[in-house]
Amino acid sequence: MNRSAASFFTSQNFTLFAIVIVGAAALGVTSHGGFFDSISVTTFFTFLAVPILIGLAQMVTLAVGQLNLAVGSIGGFTSCLAGVLISSLGVSPWVGALSCLVVGAVVGLINGSLVVFTRINGFIVTLATMTILLGAQYGLVGTRTISSTKWESVYALGRASLLGIPVIFWIAIAMAIVLRLAFSHTVTGRHLLASGGNPIAAGLAGISNDRSVVIAHTVSGLLCGVASFVSLASLSGVNQSVGGDWLLSSFAAPIIGGVALTGGSVAIFGTVLAATIVRLVDSARAELQLAPSWVNFVVGAVVLGTVALGRFRAVRAARRIKQPVAGSSVTIVESAQ
Amino acid sequence: MTETYALEATHLTKSFPGVKALDRVSLRLKPGEVHALLGENGAGKSTLIKILTGVHRADDGTIAIDGRDREISSPIEAMAAGIGVVHQERNVVPEFTVGENIVLSRMPRRAGRVDWNTVRSEAKRCLALLDLSIDPDTPMTRLSAAQTQLVEIARGLYTETNVLLLDEPTASISANEADRLFTVVRRLREQGKAVLFVSHKLEEVFAHCDTVSVLRDGKAVLESSPLHSHSRDEIVDIMVGRALAALEVPDRVIDDSAPAVLEMRGVATSVGHHDVSLAVRSGEILGLYGLVGAGRTELARSILGLDRITAGSLEVRGSAVTIRSVRQALQDHRIGYVTENRKEEGVFLGQSVARNIAVTVWAKLERALGFVSTKSERSLGATFVGDLDIRVSSQSQLVGELSGGNQQKVSLAKWLAAKTEILIIDEPTVGIDVRTKRSFYDLIWRLADEGLAILLISSDLAEMVTLADRIAVMDQFAITGELDNTHDYDSMSQSIIRLIHGTQVA
Amino acid sequence: MTPETQQHGVVRRVIATPRFFLAIVIIALVIFFGSVKPAFFSGPFVIAPLLTSVAIFTVVGLAQMMVLSIGHMNLAVGQMASFGAMFMGMSYDLWKLPLLVGLGIGLVAGAAVGGLSGWLVARTGVNSFIVTLAMSFALIGLVPTAYSALATGSAFIAKPSGLDVIGRDSFASFCFAGYCGPNAIPIIVVPAIVVMLIVGYLYARTRLGRELLMTGSNVKAATLSGIPTGRRIVLAHALSGLLAALAGFFLASSTGSFTPGIGDEFMLQSFVGPILGGTLLAGGYISVSGTFLGIVLTLLIRKGLDLFGVGIETLNVLLGLILIIALSTDRIRLLARRRSVKRVQQTDALLIEGNPL
Repeated sequence: MNRSAASFFTSQNFTLFAIVIVGAAALGVTSHGGFFDSISVTTFFTFLAVPILIGLAQMVTLAVGQLNLAVGSIGGFTSCLAGVLISSLGVSPWVGALSCLVVGAVVGLINGSLVVFTRINGFIVTLATMTILLGAQYGLVGTRTISSTKWESVYALGRASLLGIPVIFWIAIAMAIVLRLAFSHTVTGRHLLASGGNPIAAGLAGISNDRSVVIAHTVSGLLCGVASFVSLASLSGVNQSVGGDWLLSSFAAPIIGGVALTGGSVAIFGTVLAATIVRLVDSARAELQLAPSWVNFVVGAVVLGTVALGRFRAVRAARRIKQPVAGSSVTIVESAQ
Repeated sequence: MTETYALEATHLTKSFPGVKALDRVSLRLKPGEVHALLGENGAGKSTLIKILTGVHRADDGTIAIDGRDREISSPIEAMAAGIGVVHQERNVVPEFTVGENIVLSRMPRRAGRVDWNTVRSEAKRCLALLDLSIDPDTPMTRLSAAQTQLVEIARGLYTETNVLLLDEPTASISANEADRLFTVVRRLREQGKAVLFVSHKLEEVFAHCDTVSVLRDGKAVLESSPLHSHSRDEIVDIMVGRALAALEVPDRVIDDSAPAVLEMRGVATSVGHHDVSLAVRSGEILGLYGLVGAGRTELARSILGLDRITAGSLEVRGSAVTIRSVRQALQDHRIGYVTENRKEEGVFLGQSVARNIAVTVWAKLERALGFVSTKSERSLGATFVGDLDIRVSSQSQLVGELSGGNQQKVSLAKWLAAKTEILIIDEPTVGIDVRTKRSFYDLIWRLADEGLAILLISSDLAEMVTLADRIAVMDQFAITGELDNTHDYDSMSQSIIRLIHGTQVA
Repeated sequence: MTPETQQHGVVRRVIATPRFFLAIVIIALVIFFGSVKPAFFSGPFVIAPLLTSVAIFTVVGLAQMMVLSIGHMNLAVGQMASFGAMFMGMSYDLWKLPLLVGLGIGLVAGAAVGGLSGWLVARTGVNSFIVTLAMSFALIGLVPTAYSALATGSAFIAKPSGLDVIGRDSFASFCFAGYCGPNAIPIIVVPAIVVMLIVGYLYARTRLGRELLMTGSNVKAATLSGIPTGRRIVLAHALSGLLAALAGFFLASSTGSFTPGIGDEFMLQSFVGPILGGTLLAGGYISVSGTFLGIVLTLLIRKGLDLFGVGIETLNVLLGLILIIALSTDRIRLLARRRSVKRVQQTDALLIEGNPL
């Protein structure tokens, strides 16, 4: 475990952690302690589960050098499907709710297979499946909202708590831990990272990059399904808007958390922390009674800043050790004055 | 019957668009034998290695391991067949540690989990074979180029193999480090393993190999012959072939008193060059020789403004200049650069021949409203298609459909179209067949005769000795000496090699 | 090659393009819709609105095509439209400026955010996908906030003279000697055609267009050939933002008000049009007419579904399927061709992007 311990508290995680602490403290002060009362805390953690899960879902595809635009639509579609299954087809609440996971994984599997077999850019494949699922989601529920009263037992889970913290938050944390173990300790996890880090080297070492891509998309879909399950348990009902605002947060968490967009790395703790920061921004927005769109603005700006800074740092580091970054687009593209 | 070979490849054939990379090539390795595979750049060595390791599939031919026919269509099958390899390119996962990169092809596992202790101990074992004390937990990104190459070698020793293929393993490591590799190779030979050794360094080959095969132009011109029944010259002749051996060097008249058009004085760069001084006159071919990684291409990049010159001066036609971009080099100073990476940097594969040639002159062809007439573009293209004898079906043919040699001519043509007066040509004949190579040499001489100043970068010694008027030798980002070319291969090559090894000892 | 076989070759090449295929499908669909639902040919109620949206979305498609030409993408195309349109609305509503001045201000605003994206991409080397995604979210936050602060009821509704002419009139209002134009053709098609011609001219005939394509085809080779690739990247993104803002203007003029919702539906369409029309995601090849035909096809299907009373959600499902099928068949064609005509290098070069190995 030395390696993990060493990488666990890298400086970036530490910075993020500090921001979380400072942010929470600041919110506590501005709300005169209201932010730390039990209802606020419960709300905070309840609605932190989904950002963490979709951040992880995106992170898994980024790890192999892919991306998943369909994160939100998989979540929206599966939750609405579960709602319809339970309310109209009489499927038992638990079976219906857990169908989210299966359907999510299947859609992810389809995404991955399409990327591998058609060799179409993953961007376009997931853009297409996103569109299809958005249509399907609307087809399922139209403009109505299916109330969570139809799945009281599942909804009860959303309000249950363990050690004073909502159970569904623990679910998200459990997923993060499972991923953490999978990426650092299983052969499959390492193969995924090898494919993302250097597909040619991976191929020469006998690792199937195609398999890595399919697995990553499937796991990503599965995690969207879990996020959808969590939504089902925590929202008062499902409708066509579920998943609509997941896309940016799904990218924001891993990017701010330190995942390289080029593939080959994961940052689970960083992703969780970054999702927490985004959630803090949202809480602050509510506290200051600003329009919800402010959150998007702030997060968008932070993401831009993070990638730009990270890139500048990489280039400077490369210069310092006097290695020409041959082939990197920075050195080869003339700078725009 | 006959004895069993550790590896027996028969009549392997492989075609790529426009090139027959391998033409009925056979190779036989006996157990306990170190077999040299020689040939010039583009002769087909790497293709052969890639077929034997399942990266490419042969169009035709068979491979037998220990007398049994094996289908090798993926790297996994090659490993299963007991073939280990050290590839020429450094193919590591930069995000991983040294240890994990070594064991990547077969992760030690227990119940699906990575057994990190075994990863470390196995990696240590492989590194110890090479007398390396790198900690397996070191991140790959912290290693130097030479260390990376050594890790790559350690990787080839990880799995139990009966046949080990070494594709130019010593290209970027020191003589000391190479010696450790050869100790391992000798041990493998004693254990009855077969080793295939690909190298450009003939000294190494003669010191460590038993048998030799030579490829030229995709064909085996010498098949599994005892190495020491041949002299060094013989081998070189076989490698280069009569086509070049008989190449007559034209009489070149160079005006020694003419001023230099491109001159570097005591130049240091941001990528690590120091004390680089050289000068090229118009009508002259200055060769810049050095091993891979010596800093030759990087020097060209500094001249073009892609890397910064931090000390010393760069003078063009007698006046000191600062060049910040390729565009400036081209438009203000008429300097052109024919890159060594034809496909990645030299041509636009998905674009027409006409546009590939005209790309440097659009600024001149431009009329009102940014208009560039297709007609002027085409007439320019036609000039060079004819002049350089570029084989195309029409000027709208995509460059990606041309053969390597014709692509290279297109890559050169755009600089001639722009009427450059100083031309830096980097490895002009990599991956080009012998016949086209010859016509390229004629072309380069002709361009020099027409008054171009040419800085020729090459790691092909024979090419250097044939083409250049003077040869500057670069090693470890510094010029270690300059020689007048006598065009006598033996004496020149020895002087050059001395200039390289001189610094390595120091 | 004899002239005859050459001609034969040209014909075959035309037939092999996606454009030809798209045109055939479009004609077949028009005949089908027309014969099953004669109401389809109703000028003012079906054809005119259809042409209006074709005009708007063709410009949207061209906005995306600009960045696709250099191998980049612009996920913020919709938000750039709403950002540009917001400035137009402000010009008319708050500052009471005339039509063209307001239009100019909005276009400059669109070009500015586009150029900023391009500058960030060129300067930092970060993938255009991420930069424009982040840009889109920053704008999604900014635009509605600005509207709620500056506009009453979150919309700018002041109309300078001429806005309705562009957005809502048809040629029926232009009469000459007692004869009026057809009411099936809206005025808005005229500026749209002008834009198509200008963009077509840019890529086919000018140095800038050629340099954009070369940058898309191989950015390293372009830099090493003396093309100022950094500036070309900024230019492509700026033009993309400008065209997006223009599309926002068209949409606002056809609906009659400037709202933060402008551009919400642009993103998917902006990709579908060029890609169906044969523009390469990897850069280096574009088709203006293909983009137009791709847009026509998708909007035609949408209209047809409308006529049959099928919901809008089915359209989304269909669009997604069309995209996958169209691109898969392309792949299959490439594979088939690779076997027969050995074009490995080129196709491989085109396929590398986005796919490990």
